Amino acid sequence: MIDWLVDPLTHGFTVRALIEIALLGVTSGAIGCWVVLYRISYSAESLAHGMFPGLVGAALLGLPLMLGGATGIIIAGLLIAVVGRLSADAADTAIAVVVTSLFGLGVLLALSPDSPPGIQALLFGDPLGITEGQLLVTALLGATVLAALWFGHDRLLAVGFDGDAGRAGGPSPGLIQGLLLILVAVTVLVGVQGLGNLLVAAILVGPAAAARLLTDRMKPMILLSAGIAVLSGVAGLYLSFHGRVAAGAAIVACILLAYLSAAFLAAAKTRLVRPTRKETPDEPVTQLV
Amino acid sequence: MFEAFSLPFFQRGLAEILLLAIPCGLIGSWVVLRGLAFHSHAVGTATFPGLVLADGLGFAAALGAFGAAALFTLLTVAIARSRRTGADSVTALALAACLAGGVILASDVFNSGANVDTLLFGSLLAIGSGDLWLAAVVAGLAVVASFFVGQHWLARGFDEGASRALRSDSALFDAALLTVVAATVVATLSAVGALLVSTLIVVPAATARLFTARLSTLLTAATLLVAAEGVFGLWLSVQTNAPPGATIAVTSGAAFALALGARTISRRGMWRAAAVAAALLALAGFGAGCGSQSSGGDGPKVVATTTQVGDFVAEIGGDQVDLSTILKPNTDPHEYEPRPSDVQAVADADIIFRSGGHLDDWTEDLIKDSGSDAEVVDLSTHLPVRLFGEEEHDHEGEAHEDEGHEAGGEEFDPHWWQDPVNVRFAAARIESTLSDANPAASAYYQGRLRRFDNQIRNLTRQTKSCVRRVPAGDRKIVTDHDAFAYFTNRFGIETVGTVIPALTTEAQPSAGDLADLEATIRRENVKAIFPEESVSPALSEALAKDTGATTEYSLYGDTLGPAGSDGETWLGSMKSNVNAVVAGMSGGKVTCFGGQDG
Amino acid sequence: MAEPAIAAAHMSLGYAGRAVLRGLEFQVPTGSRVGILGPNGGGKTTLFRALTGEIEPLSGHLEVNATTATVAQTDRSRLDYPVSALDVATMGSLARLPWWKRPGRAERRRAREALAEVGLAELADSTFGDLSGGQRQRVLIARALTADAELLLMDEPFTGLDTTNEQRLEELIDSLAVKGRTVMIATHEVEQAERWDLVLCLNGEQISFGDPAVAISKPVLEATYGGHIVEIPGQPELGVLPAHHHHHDEGHEGAGQ
Repeated sequence: MIDWLVDPLTHGFTVRALIEIALLGVTSGAIGCWVVLYRISYSAESLAHGMFPGLVGAALLGLPLMLGGATGIIIAGLLIAVVGRLSADAADTAIAVVVTSLFGLGVLLALSPDSPPGIQALLFGDPLGITEGQLLVTALLGATVLAALWFGHDRLLAVGFDGDAGRAGGPSPGLIQGLLLILVAVTVLVGVQGLGNLLVAAILVGPAAAARLLTDRMKPMILLSAGIAVLSGVAGLYLSFHGRVAAGAAIVACILLAYLSAAFLAAAKTRLVRPTRKETPDEPVTQLV
Repeated sequence: MFEAFSLPFFQRGLAEILLLAIPCGLIGSWVVLRGLAFHSHAVGTATFPGLVLADGLGFAAALGAFGAAALFTLLTVAIARSRRTGADSVTALALAACLAGGVILASDVFNSGANVDTLLFGSLLAIGSGDLWLAAVVAGLAVVASFFVGQHWLARGFDEGASRALRSDSALFDAALLTVVAATVVATLSAVGALLVSTLIVVPAATARLFTARLSTLLTAATLLVAAEGVFGLWLSVQTNAPPGATIAVTSGAAFALALGARTISRRGMWRAAAVAAALLALAGFGAGCGSQSSGGDGPKVVATTTQVGDFVAEIGGDQVDLSTILKPNTDPHEYEPRPSDVQAVADADIIFRSGGHLDDWTEDLIKDSGSDAEVVDLSTHLPVRLFGEEEHDHEGEAHEDEGHEAGGEEFDPHWWQDPVNVRFAAARIESTLSDANPAASAYYQGRLRRFDNQIRNLTRQTKSCVRRVPAGDRKIVTDHDAFAYFTNRFGIETVGTVIPALTTEAQPSAGDLADLEATIRRENVKAIFPEESVSPALSEALAKDTGATTEYSLYGDTLGPAGSDGETWLGSMKSNVNAVVAGMSGGKVTCFGGQDG
Repeated sequence: MAEPAIAAAHMSLGYAGRAVLRGLEFQVPTGSRVGILGPNGGGKTTLFRALTGEIEPLSGHLEVNATTATVAQTDRSRLDYPVSALDVATMGSLARLPWWKRPGRAERRRAREALAEVGLAELADSTFGDLSGGQRQRVLIARALTADAELLLMDEPFTGLDTTNEQRLEELIDSLAVKGRTVMIATHEVEQAERWDLVLCLNGEQISFGDPAVAISKPVLEATYGGHIVEIPGQPELGVLPAHHHHHDEGHEGAGQ
């Protein structure tokens, strides 16, 4: 049993992966709650593709790829916010328009013979390929994001509660939403470099959605979500080590398992504690799925 | 200007986009109205496990894609029963579940090859009659569904509260919409690929939405817009020699920006939006492709699929051959997307030299779809050394005993050119093919073959003597994906392990396998891990760091290097590889070829 | 006497076995206008859901001898939808057509007639989202008419209307009743409720039912609104200050309260 726990820790790459997943778990667990509350999962999933032209541009100009990726992803975030506000259509339409256009642009730019091969793969990492430099970047940017969330907590809560109606002094809801999108973009950028795109989308949304099922308050939800993210990450790495399953996919599987357990717990709690709680809310569900 | 329209592959692409305009316009309007953009994007990406299964078990890819899309839709509906999870989170969770399943299938069950990736990257330049049929069926489905159920989709989207009284509240109406969305997305995959389905489904409808205040106008305008943007994008892609999918994406994005800008300015007199639109347009103007790499020589028109084969043909044919090489140097053959010049070159070719195996099996479709009647020579078929084995897990120490890999089977290892003896045979075959086609230059070809053959023999001899200078116990390497079996086989080097378990870029290693590899590296005292030039080296570097091995020396595997690099020619790439392997195994003590001579 | 449009006997309503509205006992004759008074969470929405058949009574008996249509608050509809007033009114015909049939020319003519009936004949081709709140309300009523609804359930139709539009809507409701349609109007305002033929006061249970002159009294209002009754000096009517006068809350009525 002890061996089972200790064995993975004798390998450098698993230790680095564990530290990375813990750092990112806390950051994305926390910001994931806002992603879930503001319903911007689509951005979290797709922003990474929107940074493609920035990435290629940096490679062509000989700048660090990380810088190009950061510029690209922040521009993508801002464009989504602008198009979303101007077109007044469903927010996800704006994301689809911006991300596919930018991705197509990136593909065209990458045709240049000076562009390095597999450029997108260069920034899409694997949890087992983490370097110490990446750990440092993750820690620094994670701390920045957490600090921003800490200071902006009340404003985020107010705007998230009633959107444009919360325009009672202070910065405009549009500004708050834009800033949140940039924080998400930064987290996605750090995340895809460390973990790959699939895992980032899952870790941003899954733990927070699970925590949402278990609590109604924002602060416990954030703590719970960060906890679930870190635990699923560690469990997934052990599963990958002992069960020989692809690492990223194993972590995603653990996150989904956590979500399903939370759904089960929430259902059981409803039956036991409040046996008469009604099951269908009056609010019509305006979205299909 | 318009001669492109007479090309058969262009006409098929045109037919496909015009057929797709119907479902994409009609269903795209509903996707925009009902807020399903994320859902439709996710359906496309979530087809991955279906493609892996279809490839592994050998059934039609479209069937696998639709199965996965249906599974994804059911998953979203199941998760959505918990009403406290927002619709977007539900989609993200279901998508993560499908993708994780696909990664596990690809990495740990089937060891999928690169063909799984190419299914995710469709192209309007490689449309077969099957794709046309699928598009036609889906177009019919979209028309029928819109005609009979559209009124309920409208009533339900307008206000759900009243839909019960209007008998539009049946879940079957929504199920019908989601099914048609899934079918539309699957049909669109082969035209633009998974990451760009929104280009045809969401963007034109969103553009039309900016200006229309009636459903019927929206449906018509969206359909016409898909057709217009698609045809224009396809034509532009032929003019600029860029991939059509990306061209259409940028075109339709620019059209949206323009429309949004015009509307905002006319409504509010805002110039900020004009600036945004201008910026987007300026960005769009960037998209210029580069010309085809035809050598422009006399003699037969020859197409080579891979960079190595292109180099062999150039060595033999010299200026008595008009050569086009499809793959560009230093690109991953797994990420190949056809460009108009490639299809044109294949259509015009007299002779096509294939490398063979899974590395260029997309050529078959390309040749078929281009309407070419060229003589196709698969160089991999008549070789003295043909290695078989499971693509990637072959030499992996303990993993060898693992019996869970039958699905991979005894597949031909296509990296035959890593053995110089094979290259001599291939070169001879190229010479006889060229001589048959162009007897007038036969003596010229034979002369060049003799010269090339001598160079190869020198290379082989020198490499053997070099490798012998490395102590026998040190002749072990670890590569990051297994493209070097022929090389190690010829020169008596042992590959003790590979880092990446499968060829698709979506595959990932497991921590357990990587730990075993690490143990092997330590036990066997392997001094160097060799990342391949065109593959991201992160995993190899992590492993090297922990074991003290070096990743300083990289190898040319699937592709030659760009012009000006050591690996510009096959001879150069081999010398560079030999230098790297010998230096890596000996800790830098043994060197082989100095510079470009020898 | 003809059979009543609605007859409820010993009825209780609720969700998942828990009653949120008990002791319902009333009969509504066809062609009458019924005001429904009650605080948020008092059970108005639940009653409407029972009348449309969305939920079954937990106990007791409910008989609805009329085709029913709801006229929701207009902010429940999608204002950005690409539909004209005529399109919305035509949607009503879906209630009568088989599911696979599209509304045709005859249905459009019916819808135009219905729009004319609510006084919007000349605005038939305007975009729904461009209309004023009162006009949108009347379009939704026209949709109920196209659906041939004999019983119209209106959820706070007067919220957000100015005096002119309020008066217009009252006249429209009167004319509907004259033509034999039964109309139920959920409202917060006692003054409003007093205008109708009948009034039903709800607060988790039926407080009273009948002619407003009889059914509305100070004790009834206190029971209905839980004591938030103030007498405004110098005015004969009773003023009511509901605890949360915020119409958005109506949607959550009954949820966890």
